[in-house]
Amino acid sequence: MKFIPTASQTVGPFFSIGLTPLYQSSSTALASPENKITIHGTVYEADHLPIPDAVLEFWSADGFARVPTKDDGTFTVSADLPFVQSTTAQHFEVLIFMRGLLKPVYTRVYLGNPEATASDSILKLVPQARIATLFAASDGSPKRFVWNIVMQGENETVFFDL
Amino acid sequence: MTNSAEYRRVLLASQPPHLHPPYVSGRKRAPSKPLILIPNSLATVNGPVFGHEMIQPGDSDLTRQHSSEPLGERIIVSGKVLDDDGHPVRGALLEIWQANAAGRYKHKNDNHAAPLDPNFSGCGRVLTDNDGRYSFVTVKPGAYPWKNHDNAWRPAHIHFSLFGAGLISRLITQMYFPGDPLLAFDPIFNSIPDESARLRLISAFDWPTTKPQHALGYRFDIILRGGNSTPMESYRP
Repeated sequence: MKFIPTASQTVGPFFSIGLTPLYQSSSTALASPENKITIHGTVYEADHLPIPDAVLEFWSADGFARVPTKDDGTFTVSADLPFVQSTTAQHFEVLIFMRGLLKPVYTRVYLGNPEATASDSILKLVPQARIATLFAASDGSPKRFVWNIVMQGENETVFFDL
Repeated sequence: MTNSAEYRRVLLASQPPHLHPPYVSGRKRAPSKPLILIPNSLATVNGPVFGHEMIQPGDSDLTRQHSSEPLGERIIVSGKVLDDDGHPVRGALLEIWQANAAGRYKHKNDNHAAPLDPNFSGCGRVLTDNDGRYSFVTVKPGAYPWKNHDNAWRPAHIHFSLFGAGLISRLITQMYFPGDPLLAFDPIFNSIPDESARLRLISAFDWPTTKPQHALGYRFDIILRGGNSTPMESYRP
């Protein structure tokens, strides 16, 4: 590294002006409908208040999706089931931007059973008591998952540093 | 700087922390538990590819998106996008958004009592060329008040969103203007501990890109993470 990376600044409250044209509520590489899943949930600040001005990006080797939260703090994203590498369980990388955050938080959302993912090289770094925050649960419908994000406090979602 | 501890210290000081208490909106949103450090090698997800078909020819000229031109000082903002090894980042997507010349955003939640401009939406997109260069034509945004503290005003700024080679390169930042008296009082700008890193968010007035009888030029170069991790020096345009 020769040069220091440019500093991050908050996305602010009005990001929809700039980021809406390329919002993609489904990933770019929807290969086949049977691989398509939906994740929905709510983003909360401390005191369990919903956050209406966050934008989430879901990254995987197979695609990319970006969705804002609505006025009630909820989001819905559709994407292809990510390809599974030998050292990881099925997951998306997630970046979350919002008013109030000077730089994004980086987390992951895993699909599946926490007990069945013991070999995942990232989950091994996470304290057992917090692992559940990284898992989306079936919402009862096929291929639909619910995943809530807690930014701060008790039950705070695990965030990673790269 | 030759050792990794020093490198990491400089890198940390060049980025804002998640929690900077003078920026009030972050107090209930910034994570309170320590982040879990994971090796770069385990999160090398490539970025999405944004093709030219997603960008319209006029997307980089914010003064030509309506029937007439917007009010305000016409400016050309240009620069280079490099990775932290100094290599140009080609085909990087830049998305920008900003207030109009009166300091008003075209957004339902902006209640500032300044006029909207029917000829200005404040949104632009462009891809970098083979040398990592980009250019936008726009108007200089106005300062505007906000409610962070008593008599709080944001310095004039343009929001920049960039996609580089991968997840680690993702950046959203703000470009400021030289000589703005509000910078000294802005908790967002001043959240960055290292002064030289702060100053690099201030664009430079630029004669070579100033067009006679047309527009003032401002230069803003951007460095994205994503090169190889070796010791570094400060980037000076």
